[in-house]
Amino acid sequence: MNKTLTIALSKGRLADQAIELLERAGYNCEAAKEKTRKLILEDPQTGMRFIMAKPADVPTYVEYGAADIGVVGKDTLLEEGRQLYEVIDLGFGACRMCVCGPNELKGRLDSIANKRIGTKYPRIAREYFEIKKRESVEIIKLNGSVELAPLIGLADIIVDIVESGRTLEENGLTVLETIAPISARMVVNRVSMKMKADSINPLIQAVKRQLQEG
Amino acid sequence: MGQWQFHTPEGVIDYLPEECAVKRSLESKLRAYFLTRGYDEIETPGIEFYDVYAGSEVFTPQETLFKFCDHKGRILCLRYDGTVPAARLAATVCRDAEPPLRFSYLGNMYRFNESGGGRQREFTQGGLELLGLDSPDADGEIIAAAIGSAQSLGIRDIQVSIGQVSFFKGLVEEWQLSQEDAENLQLKIDTRQTVALDELIRRLGLSENDRAVLEIMTSHDGNIDVIDKLKRLVDYPGCIEALNNLQAVLNVLDDYDLMSYISIDLGMLQSINYYTGIIFKGFTYGLGFPLFSGGRYDGAVAAFGRDLAATGFSIGINFVMSALRRQGSSETKLQPAVRLVYEQDMRKKALAVSNEWRQRGLRVICQSKQDSALDKVDLTAYAGGIEEILAADGLSSRLIAFMRDDGDVQFFTMGVKHQ
Repeated sequence: MNKTLTIALSKGRLADQAIELLERAGYNCEAAKEKTRKLILEDPQTGMRFIMAKPADVPTYVEYGAADIGVVGKDTLLEEGRQLYEVIDLGFGACRMCVCGPNELKGRLDSIANKRIGTKYPRIAREYFEIKKRESVEIIKLNGSVELAPLIGLADIIVDIVESGRTLEENGLTVLETIAPISARMVVNRVSMKMKADSINPLIQAVKRQLQEG
Repeated sequence: MGQWQFHTPEGVIDYLPEECAVKRSLESKLRAYFLTRGYDEIETPGIEFYDVYAGSEVFTPQETLFKFCDHKGRILCLRYDGTVPAARLAATVCRDAEPPLRFSYLGNMYRFNESGGGRQREFTQGGLELLGLDSPDADGEIIAAAIGSAQSLGIRDIQVSIGQVSFFKGLVEEWQLSQEDAENLQLKIDTRQTVALDELIRRLGLSENDRAVLEIMTSHDGNIDVIDKLKRLVDYPGCIEALNNLQAVLNVLDDYDLMSYISIDLGMLQSINYYTGIIFKGFTYGLGFPLFSGGRYDGAVAAFGRDLAATGFSIGINFVMSALRRQGSSETKLQPAVRLVYEQDMRKKALAVSNEWRQRGLRVICQSKQDSALDKVDLTAYAGGIEEILAADGLSSRLIAFMRDDGDVQFFTMGVKHQ
């Protein structure tokens, strides 16, 4: 039977950090470091295969079993809402998912009756307001530079990830509420966890040990 | 004419002959297997009143049901699963039948799923329901039948994870968690969010001992010694009862000689409002989802007013097809039909001969020469006769039979005509 371990990585900085971590944990990832435009990088000797995917697609690959393991940000996991095992908090890529708006709304968020929310994360925004706060809201899906929306009156507030908060500050916006802390996670397909436990369990343990030793 | 004229709706597909033959073959194998286990097949309607499913809202959220209205404005829905209709049946039309009841079903179910990877919105599911018994033997019978079903369909590598949701419910009761905390804890355990779980444990102020219990629940080793480990850590009555029940079911499975397939997973907590005891899922290679799943849901029939314990499982035919395809297992080939071609004046004789062949098990198309367009192919005489064709297993689809003027039949194989 096919015992190759397929690992889906989020193209970009998260992928580099994930590869570095796996190497420190004793896994040979030469294949994944190849400078190439190939999307599947395989090393038959180590039995590892890496898929370079768009971050938002990583949970999908893992849920459907096209990849056994994935490394992806918690923001993407929350937004995609897939059925997965979320086994390790890798710590890197740390930031917060926040509700942000103009400074004058600080402490007065509830003063807006019908909130219009601009966001790249419609699902997170909807769950936070509709389920947690029991409030109906209007969501406006945007694809980037979300901070623009309240500035030009497209939305009252935004839901977005905040790292240093500088972009917010420079645009006269501030964090109104924090929804959840975000960082990179290792996720595992529910079937792979059972069928390939012999190779996945040791990998999880090795990575955990590496994270504890720092 | 609408723009959707050429399309099928999302999540449903057409089965072409080859694939349809594979599917039918699996369905008939599964039906035969269910019969050998002594379960009687029932067929419930493809349409139910929405109210039938509304009672199990936690298990069938309303947005996953296909809904429409009847002529009186009542809400109907397409059959979502085999269990709820079977429970309705057991509590209504079969209310006087002496338990235990053993039902099987095989049919199409409809759900607003996200489709892909073998998942469809219209899919075929078979399953068993054992109603009226709440013994470990009954749970063991169902798990054994689930494994046997998968094997009868040609799936070889099977792993079954078994859990017991009462263990978690016992913890919640003992720790006196609010509903919100309990749901939060359930999600964190079920999705193995170990870090978030740590935070939650701290916030709930659980002891080191309780933490160790949760660590075992979320570990992935699946070894059956977790039962003993947990017994050393907890003495909550609900939990102990759950562990004893789990052990009793494992003892049954041991007698079935099935322990090599089994691992323990007490962290499986999906749909725990629906399941009341043992819960299990079966896995195989090449499929991202469980191949079969089931467990004990003693509340299902009670929801229809009859107090009847219930355990059962279902297996997805579409999942089996995907798994077999990806595992490269040999698939059933559609037996090709022989074409018997006749001149107009030999029609009566040809029709009689083709019927005779059909009775002997051949698939026969009987067709006039005019309709056969044979001038485009090269015919080569075939040495064998009808007896040989009947004996052959994989008959060539290029075989053609001619009814000659004298009523004798001659066989040919077809090739492409060279210019």
